[in-house]
Amino acid sequence: MGTGFDSIAEQVLGMAKTKGSLQAEVFLLDSQELTIEVAEKRLENLKLAQERGLGLRIVDNRRLGYAFTADLSPGSLEKVVDSALHNAQMVEQDPFWELPRPCDTYPELVTFDEKTFDAPIENKMELARQMETAARSYDKRVTITEKAVYQDSKYRVLIYNNRGVQVNYRGSYCGGYIVVVGQENGDSQTGFGMQFELFYHNLDPAKIGQEAGRKAIRMLGAQRIPSGVMPVVLDPHSVTSFMGVLQFAFSAEAVLKGKSFLQGLEGQTVASPLLTLVDDGTLDGGLGSSPFDGEGNPTSETMLLQNGKLSGFLHNGYTAKKMGACSTGNGVRNSYKMLPEVGTTNLYIKKGDLDPQEILQDIERGLLITDVMGIHTANPISGDFSIGASGILIENGRLTSPVKGVAVAGNLRNFLQDIDAVGNDLTFFAGKGAPTLRLKSLAVSGA
Amino acid sequence: MNKKEMAEILKKALGYGAEFAEVFWEHKETTAIGCEENKIERINSGIDEGVGVRVIYGDSTAYAFTNEVTLERLLEVAEIAGQAAQQKSPPQSPLDFTTPKPQAEFPVLISPADVDVEKKVQVIMDANEAARQTDPRVRQVSVSYGDVRQNVLIANSEGVYVEDLRTRTRLSVNAIAVEGSVVQTGFHSVGQVTGFELLRENDPAEIGRKAAQRAVLMLSAKCAPSGKMPVVMAGSAGGTMVHEACGHGLEADLVQKHLSVYGGKKGQMVASPEISVLDDGTLPKRFGSIRYDDEGCPGQKTVLINKGVLEEYLYDYQTARREKRASTGNGRRESYQMRPIPRMRNTYIKPGKADPEKIIRETGEGLLVTAMGGGQVNTTTGDYVFEVAEGYLIEDGKVKRPVRGATLTGNGPETLRMIGQVGNDLGFTIGICGKEGQGVPVSDAQPTIAIKELIIGGTGNIRTCQKR
Repeated sequence: MGTGFDSIAEQVLGMAKTKGSLQAEVFLLDSQELTIEVAEKRLENLKLAQERGLGLRIVDNRRLGYAFTADLSPGSLEKVVDSALHNAQMVEQDPFWELPRPCDTYPELVTFDEKTFDAPIENKMELARQMETAARSYDKRVTITEKAVYQDSKYRVLIYNNRGVQVNYRGSYCGGYIVVVGQENGDSQTGFGMQFELFYHNLDPAKIGQEAGRKAIRMLGAQRIPSGVMPVVLDPHSVTSFMGVLQFAFSAEAVLKGKSFLQGLEGQTVASPLLTLVDDGTLDGGLGSSPFDGEGNPTSETMLLQNGKLSGFLHNGYTAKKMGACSTGNGVRNSYKMLPEVGTTNLYIKKGDLDPQEILQDIERGLLITDVMGIHTANPISGDFSIGASGILIENGRLTSPVKGVAVAGNLRNFLQDIDAVGNDLTFFAGKGAPTLRLKSLAVSGA
Repeated sequence: MNKKEMAEILKKALGYGAEFAEVFWEHKETTAIGCEENKIERINSGIDEGVGVRVIYGDSTAYAFTNEVTLERLLEVAEIAGQAAQQKSPPQSPLDFTTPKPQAEFPVLISPADVDVEKKVQVIMDANEAARQTDPRVRQVSVSYGDVRQNVLIANSEGVYVEDLRTRTRLSVNAIAVEGSVVQTGFHSVGQVTGFELLRENDPAEIGRKAAQRAVLMLSAKCAPSGKMPVVMAGSAGGTMVHEACGHGLEADLVQKHLSVYGGKKGQMVASPEISVLDDGTLPKRFGSIRYDDEGCPGQKTVLINKGVLEEYLYDYQTARREKRASTGNGRRESYQMRPIPRMRNTYIKPGKADPEKIIRETGEGLLVTAMGGGQVNTTTGDYVFEVAEGYLIEDGKVKRPVRGATLTGNGPETLRMIGQVGNDLGFTIGICGKEGQGVPVSDAQPTIAIKELIIGGTGNIRTCQKR
């Protein structure tokens, strides 16, 4: 895989040079993916994917140009160079565009697991079946499997630019997820479980399945509750859903464009002192870990909130130069079709010291949120959110009855400040991790 | 790629006993231009090409794709997909390709390929300037333009052979307005299955102004209330509600897997008798319109609910095959990298006879939704949410102050039964609908309708949201 990538990269850089471009960067990606979907023990879908492509970024007279191609034949390479140069002509000049220079050191990380690809496909199919068996045998009311999925991927990334950066690495991941339905008295509820890992031997199909079964069953008979303001506990998965919106406010790009509600608050306390938020592209075994980012800058551990204090933003090369900072290695690019944008690697909230059970203890009446719906409608710029939620009612420190179809609303600024308990159960869902959190109060709209 | 090569690949894919094989070739040229902070920040153009091979045996599907488009590599891919069938090869009859007749044509007057980047940049700057000039409180404007020319070639072992060129053009504007410490956003977009004429028919400046006006309006809005109340959805609001509350639950894959509240209800009353729901791929220019779906089946008009009675689900090839019936032309995919699944096209509630103003007047007290944003549904429970991008309180039968920050939540089948009057208007909005990680362009619409009650997820009457 990726054979001849270095010569393709050099060829394209050579062509860019003869056409007068000052700075040029080639990003090459070659990836393979396997997906196995099982339902009712039967193989439902098998998918094998192979993709490769090239993205060319140039800075010509302080103008940025970009073009990509999946076709790596000489004619197409020539065309991609012409397109990038042509596109740059129409872009406004910007003195902060500059491609990275090489670094002396890059973090040394394990990002590839050979064993994932030594395992025969039958084992992987069996792994999906084991997830299903675990979910279905968790309780006899678990009656439908939407799907039990095994997935793995391997890829090679190569970045060459004409300022001396010549880096490449191999990465892989594997994992599984399952969605099941529990049924009782005409009510149907869904539950899911997932685990994605760097190492194949860390996968625990029984645990993934049981988690899904448990989640479906505990929601059976869910009812609406009356509206009110109440303490709310969020399980780790729900917290990571909120982090997906929150991360935007920590992007230096959003700050520069006046789109972050955290703009100008560096060094100030913007969140509960219990909250420490980190983005770490060098995290051991992390799914978002890599030695360098999508433009070849080394990744790093970046403290965003330290005990509630805003201590930094996420940067790519451009935002760093414009704000007089250093790149944090967050120029993320998932595809050769995209420019590197400010993004997260492994974003997580550090764990606290409370057991999730202890967090519920002194709540007289509140809501444990286990699932949110429509989080993509939250507004990362204003911080306003109003989303659907379901979960379990907390009464006198104990989980009592399941709750569905409510909406919770507020603003992310208050959300950060209202956190008054942090659990010790930090759990990762691919590139995001969180422990259980408790919010002092949140508006819950119901029947 | 030609017919002979396609036939060869299909033959290879069928060699291990599969019952069905299909080749989907795609060549896609895209342009994306973004303007932020008053300047063209990026122009990205590219070419993507690849082939997906699908094989079906029993209820199992194997799918393999590659973007290394050589016959040799494709035969390899076909073999990988085909081998999953793991049977002895049955006798094969030679393929006799035919092309089904499309039910609609979507002429492109100005191909985006023939328009200079300069011209594309100009419409973006027009939208940007108009948005900024709307009001001094408009602080930031992002404009994004995109066009796609997707060439596809679809051939399958049942003899279907389809060539199609799909052209789509889109412009969207996001505006941010600031007053004191209050920040609000406004969004507006247009998109069609046409070429650059989209921006002759729709003034880019007007699109910019609409986004800006919405952001500015929301500055003066109060927090939405919390709890149950009657809701009127204006005809201009788009169709996110029908898309979520009804459309997804009628997709045959979900129905067959018992994952839909609408399963097993064909022939039954599932909605108020005022309600008819259609999914139509043949509407001129609409963002979800298709000559053919991504399995080579002609796009068509499908009546899903007729006067309250559930008549039809949305089928692709495989779900139709299971029920030994014909596809409804809803087999769509994001790209050659994905297998097709049942997806919506242009989904809407058929207009009725009521005067929209009368509907509002007779509602008395409630919430008027004039623009919807995104939404989501759990088809198993039928619970859905959608975002109100612009809304007003109705007091005493009159439209009063604007409200912001609310999601509406309800249950699909419950909502369909609670719809009262149906207006004589209809307004489409566009979107990219996501399912199983695949995004496809769709549009949706509804006339002005009154719903007895929905849950409004605001903060207004519980605590103030002024502090921001």
